Amino acid sequence: MLRREWLSGLSLLAAAGFSGCRGYQYGHVIKPSAENLVGSHEAGAEVFDPLVDEAVAKLLARQQIPTEDCPVGQDGLPIKKTICFIGIENKSAEDIGDFKDKLYNQIDSQILESNSFQPISRRMVDAALHETRMRPDALMVPDNMRLFTAVLQRGGAPVDYFLYATLTSGTTKRNSSTQRDYELTLELTNVHTGQYDKLSSEVRKGYHKSAMGKIWNYNPLKR
Amino acid sequence: MIRCAPSTHQKSKFAVRLLVVIASVVSIFGCSTHSKRIAIPRSLFYDGQMQACREGLEKLAKSSRHDRDVVNLDLAVVDLLGGQAKQAEARLRDVRDRFDQLEQPSVAENTVSMWTDDQTRSYAGEDYEKILIRVMLSLSSLMHDGIDAESYTLQIQDKHEQLTERFVSTSGKEPTDYVPLPIGFYMRGMLREATHRDYDDAIRNYQAASSLLPGCDPLLWDLARVQKGVHSQPGHGVVYVFAMVGRGPYKVEVAERPTSDALLIADRIVSAVGPYKLPPTIAPIKIPDIVVPDSDVDSVGVQINAQRIGPTASLANIEELARKTYQANRNSIVARAVARRVIKKATIVAAKDTMGKKDGLTSLGMDIVGVAWEATEAADTRCWGLLPRDIQLLRVEVPAGDHVLNLSPLANGRPVGPIQQTKVRVNDGQNTYIVSWFPDSRCVSQITCSDAP
Repeated sequence: MLRREWLSGLSLLAAAGFSGCRGYQYGHVIKPSAENLVGSHEAGAEVFDPLVDEAVAKLLARQQIPTEDCPVGQDGLPIKKTICFIGIENKSAEDIGDFKDKLYNQIDSQILESNSFQPISRRMVDAALHETRMRPDALMVPDNMRLFTAVLQRGGAPVDYFLYATLTSGTTKRNSSTQRDYELTLELTNVHTGQYDKLSSEVRKGYHKSAMGKIWNYNPLKR
Repeated sequence: MIRCAPSTHQKSKFAVRLLVVIASVVSIFGCSTHSKRIAIPRSLFYDGQMQACREGLEKLAKSSRHDRDVVNLDLAVVDLLGGQAKQAEARLRDVRDRFDQLEQPSVAENTVSMWTDDQTRSYAGEDYEKILIRVMLSLSSLMHDGIDAESYTLQIQDKHEQLTERFVSTSGKEPTDYVPLPIGFYMRGMLREATHRDYDDAIRNYQAASSLLPGCDPLLWDLARVQKGVHSQPGHGVVYVFAMVGRGPYKVEVAERPTSDALLIADRIVSAVGPYKLPPTIAPIKIPDIVVPDSDVDSVGVQINAQRIGPTASLANIEELARKTYQANRNSIVARAVARRVIKKATIVAAKDTMGKKDGLTSLGMDIVGVAWEATEAADTRCWGLLPRDIQLLRVEVPAGDHVLNLSPLANGRPVGPIQQTKVRVNDGQNTYIVSWFPDSRCVSQITCSDAP
């Protein structure tokens, strides 16, 4: 009897052993139409993609309105304004990790595809920052601005506008639930006149410790 | 159908077969531990005989399949200090991926290890080793092309968060022992600062590092610089001296009396694998423990062109990280050893009962086999043996061009060994990285530089 018990125990263990082989990791390509994953602890593509799309679309829409002082080329069409996208400043409560360079490229690419602006290559901007040893946030000082634009101009890239992007957030807490409002602001400054334009987009997101948190806090019948 | 009861002869044959199986398993795995196998290559390393150490490690990697990953980690350190950073990065990447894969438990290996010892399991790495692999990956990358260095610095934080979450979910305890390494944040800040653009990222990361090391003045200077200043003045570059100091943690076998927490976990394991019960008391069992040798060096003094710059500052206390994270998981290791002891004893008892003979001689023979079986069990002392006790850093801004760099081991701020010298090339607006290791009062290898003249 004891032997049978022992053998059955051993066979159970053997069966468990064979079925418990170490697994592999799998990957799949996500179709462009598929929805993004929603980050459980911090913002991800589900927040940043719409933020960029909306902010850049607003910027381009406003800048495409023709004005009297808009320079016109020989073909009668408005000349594209050269824009120097300095960078993104993250002032939000979260570390955006590897998203920062992705956001830069997203904004830069969308501006490049527009008919309103001609962006300056990021490599040229980086080289000018390296050469002048200026901090991006110090470029609005008139002397710094002159020096920086002169370096770019010397490299064959005259500048009409500086573009800064800033990511900010605001956090509201209610017991174990948190709402975080993410805002992407684009600031466009005319280096010739000093005039500036500012546009922003916002995405709000809720974080909850339980699956019922969303229903409990955002129930339309509750308020 | 009538089933005949097994005869005494059949029972005896079964018991003999069982003992043969046990003896075979014991003879295959033996009682040699990794700490014994690695002892000679390690002593060669600390004697500065890098080539002999490399040969010993390569031989061990070929001969012992279960040791291969940890030996590769040791070889990566030898590569890095020998100026072969690219090869070091490749080795570290392989082990990182393998340890990640091994995080998924294998029931087969776990089961076999219950009849042998933990050395039969594939070694999945201690938590501190998984974090340090990513630190060393960043360092290796910086020493040759730096392409992936930033990704590795992000992986340091990611891995730390994963390990903390896993610890909380498995133990249900607060992760007070899982404190991130400041060097992870620092290296990311250092790389973001070097872009001359992402000062906001540098501020955030230096702040995180500074909050973990509140008394570290160099971190406060770095923080002040990125808040108001720039990476370097025009015509200047920066030298980062990474000094590995002291001899780091490794594992040895110790006899341990199980704690009540460990017995509780062991009871769960034993109940899960068979019809066994945990006895109320357990004799001491063999488990691995972390030891860190004393060191007569506490920092490294840096001179550039014969001008004294200052001592390096600690950014990664590996001793503390290893002790704390290992201690947090120690109960599980003890519990496995207790469960193994119980299962082995139960197997011998089952074999004796099966034979049906209660005569003294057979019983004594079986007991001797049982004692021998338990005696051959050894603690799993596999670990990354060639780690420093501390990783320290010093940043110095110098004019672009070639410079002579001197490093000297310090104890309480006073030199305790000969000066090591090397030449470094500094490029305008860029970082140059230096790596050296002072396990005691003398450097074990040459000083390696990411950009030597």
